[in-house]
Amino acid sequence: MRNQIYIFGKLIEIVIIFFVILTALFFLFRLSPGDPISKMVDPMLTPEDMRHLIEQLGLDKPVWEQYLIYLKNFITGNLGVSFHYGEPVFDIIKERLGWTILLFTTSTILAALAGVYLGKIAAWNKGSRLDNVMSISALVCYTLFIPWFALLMLWILGFKTGIFPLGGILTPELWVGKSSVFIRTMDVIHHMILPLMTLFVINLGSYLLLMRSSMLSVLREDYIITARAKGLSEKVIRNKHAAKNAALPVITSVGLSLAFSINGGALTEQIFTWPGIGRELIFAVSNNDYPLAQACFLLIALVVLLANLIVDILYAYLDPRIRY
Amino acid sequence: MSEKKGEMGNQLKWRADACLKFILITGILIAVSFGFISCQKYQEQTFLKIGLPEEPRSLNLWLGTDANSRKILSLIYQPLYHRDPQTLEIIPWLARENPVFDKQALTYTVKLRKAKWSDGSDFTSQDVLFTKQLFFDFKIPRYYSKWKIIKKLEALDDHTIVFHLKKPSAIFMSRVMTAPIVSRKEWENVAREALTKEKPLRSLQSHSVEMPLGTGPFTLTEYKKGAYIHMQENQYFFGRGLKIGNSLLGPYVKDILFSIYGTSDVAILALKKGDIDFYWWDIQPGYIKDLKIQANIDVYFNKKSALYYLGFNLRKPPFDDKVLRQAIATVVDKDFILTRILQNFGTPMHSVVPSGNHFWHNPDVRKYGQGKDHDQRIKISYEMLTKAGYSWDIPPVDRDGKIVSPSDIRLPTGEKMEKFVILTPPADYDPKRAFTGIMIQEWLRELGLQAFARPMAFNSLLDTVKGKHEFDAFVLGYGKLNLDPDYLRAFFYSKNDKPRGWNMSGYHNPEFDRIADIQRTLIDREKRKEIILQMQEILLEDIPYLPLYNPHIIEAVFNERFKGWVAKVDGIGNMWSLCVVKPVE
Repeated sequence: MRNQIYIFGKLIEIVIIFFVILTALFFLFRLSPGDPISKMVDPMLTPEDMRHLIEQLGLDKPVWEQYLIYLKNFITGNLGVSFHYGEPVFDIIKERLGWTILLFTTSTILAALAGVYLGKIAAWNKGSRLDNVMSISALVCYTLFIPWFALLMLWILGFKTGIFPLGGILTPELWVGKSSVFIRTMDVIHHMILPLMTLFVINLGSYLLLMRSSMLSVLREDYIITARAKGLSEKVIRNKHAAKNAALPVITSVGLSLAFSINGGALTEQIFTWPGIGRELIFAVSNNDYPLAQACFLLIALVVLLANLIVDILYAYLDPRIRY
Repeated sequence: MSEKKGEMGNQLKWRADACLKFILITGILIAVSFGFISCQKYQEQTFLKIGLPEEPRSLNLWLGTDANSRKILSLIYQPLYHRDPQTLEIIPWLARENPVFDKQALTYTVKLRKAKWSDGSDFTSQDVLFTKQLFFDFKIPRYYSKWKIIKKLEALDDHTIVFHLKKPSAIFMSRVMTAPIVSRKEWENVAREALTKEKPLRSLQSHSVEMPLGTGPFTLTEYKKGAYIHMQENQYFFGRGLKIGNSLLGPYVKDILFSIYGTSDVAILALKKGDIDFYWWDIQPGYIKDLKIQANIDVYFNKKSALYYLGFNLRKPPFDDKVLRQAIATVVDKDFILTRILQNFGTPMHSVVPSGNHFWHNPDVRKYGQGKDHDQRIKISYEMLTKAGYSWDIPPVDRDGKIVSPSDIRLPTGEKMEKFVILTPPADYDPKRAFTGIMIQEWLRELGLQAFARPMAFNSLLDTVKGKHEFDAFVLGYGKLNLDPDYLRAFFYSKNDKPRGWNMSGYHNPEFDRIADIQRTLIDREKRKEIILQMQEILLEDIPYLPLYNPHIIEAVFNERFKGWVAKVDGIGNMWSLCVVKPVE
């Protein structure tokens, strides 16, 4: 019952925080220099044309009035129409989000699984050559500069060896022809491997190091010595007693990473020409496309807030000592 | 304990073996599939593959005003008249011949070609009438302001229209006749519905265009957002087999595939690999060396109709003083900018009309400091400023005529000149302009002027300069100026000195305004040319803008599959190229 009250309280908190974020975002964009028209450097556009465009976008009204309209639309589920694309913001996000989840969420899950597994092994073999190799490699992965590494991958595996395509999500020649669903699916996977590998390598390091350090601290706990004294097998001690407890901080990290993964990665998406939400977010901000930029940020805020709640609940489930 | 460890070791070994086998089998399966995909890919017909730097904003003509949308839309929607790629003259396109101008009645009579829209329906006078009505009903930006000079548009028959003008207009041919004509069939219902909405223009712009109807050489077949745009030849293209200008028109290519490349680095790799035949974007000079050594890559250098300049705020001291601006113009070494910053891929600019626009360009304007070395420039500027009453505690030129480090300059009033800022776009947006700003800062300091180049985010820069007028000086540019020089009036006409107006410098010269108004009404090109040349002379004397350079547009093609690209001002990426480019036999 107390847990349910806690969750209910948390949900109310989330609604309040979300509303504050929504308001702050709205005013921050309006206060930033320029507007959606100011970037149009076209001498064919007269000041009258610009004024007309501003009116049509509804930006001629006082900011508080714009805010009330936005709020009303938001509550009725209308995120507005993108200034830049002239399409409903909801449709744009829906379209881009799928690609982002496919790449970034997959890479986060894979990297987390591999990181936890390898971190566990590294900690278990602390001080060995295997541990040293793993730790140093993880550090290298962790500190890699994404654009450099992504371009290097493209240059070696895309250009020099030609194993993978140079970015994009599909091969246009295949899709305009009469290719089967199998071929098309394989084509998308083919395009996905290189960015996936890049993200996997970059993410792996942090999970491995986190799991390793968490596991090392757990291995010093009394209950591990007790387990050994009871004569339990090494496998049981490692996997059931040590790893399960060590995974708690990793779960927080993975939970938040999964939430942030819907944010995509502007740099990775840009280099691999992946039509995800990260690139769109950057374009929206630089073009002063308020409705689209606001909606992208709100989506991220909402998912992060919910992920925090889920992690809290998961904690209570995984660690019976935690009660709210 | 050791038994247990041994047991665990065996288990780990078994698992590692299983994993390895799984990875091997999966790898083989994937490799076979990808091999199959590659075979399929190369069995496909020949496409002309073009890389774009960004996704088009929209295929709705009224919203897609960005460079990438225009590339696609220029192949679909056509104007009555076009510019010849070589002569830059305006020549008939959807119109059959040059218009007949009646000086007394102020009318242009235009005969239309018997063209068809891409769905096979006839292109008629009604479409032109409808387009005009659309411009008026929605006050469509860019077009309405030019078309409102039309008093009446009349259709004499299905292929003859008469434009009645309110007054003579020099820009009628270049601005009105070159506007795209849309199909009444495609837009009539959309427009009717949009007009009932609270924001009609916004509603029109938000209309989703799936299959645009055009009269151009290509039609849209499929647009897969985030992936590609597939265009096919228009079976009904009126120009097929015709010789217009110097080009025997095709198209000779059945399919074009546009794909997006997020960075130039990757696009260049794709070009070198042969994944694309042409990257439709201005390539940075840093790539040229690498591209030139490739036998299967051709690099094209063309002049741009562009203007990159240093602008001053004439509304307040110190730049309200013409002599100071002229002294600055003298000390700025354009050849240095060209050789060191542009790496010789461009031309120094002396007039505000680019030299590539040869009919309207004035080569005889005042050229500040041309042919002088660094020290001579400083000496000339020093003399100009001294004569105008400027002074220094330690002047930049000592009594022996040597250049020395000066103290801060004093204004003719005796006060020390305050430090001022030269705003530039940031280096990641345009390194050329950012570094040019820094160089100008250094040259001005040699005169004792406390200049500070400050990069500013592009949006903020425009807002500061164009919207608020809160600046001292700035380095900006126009990458694609219209070939009609009427923009001189827009940039320097005193009435345009208002927030969001194009007269960003706040230049006011009644004589300039007077002749700028006259040239607008002159139909005689030669007479108008005289005035345009005179306007350039005035501007280079008054220096509200100091023209700096005009970079070349650098483009590259993969030459193994297609040939015949048409080079013109603003490069080979144009509708003419795609009308004549042919597969290599």
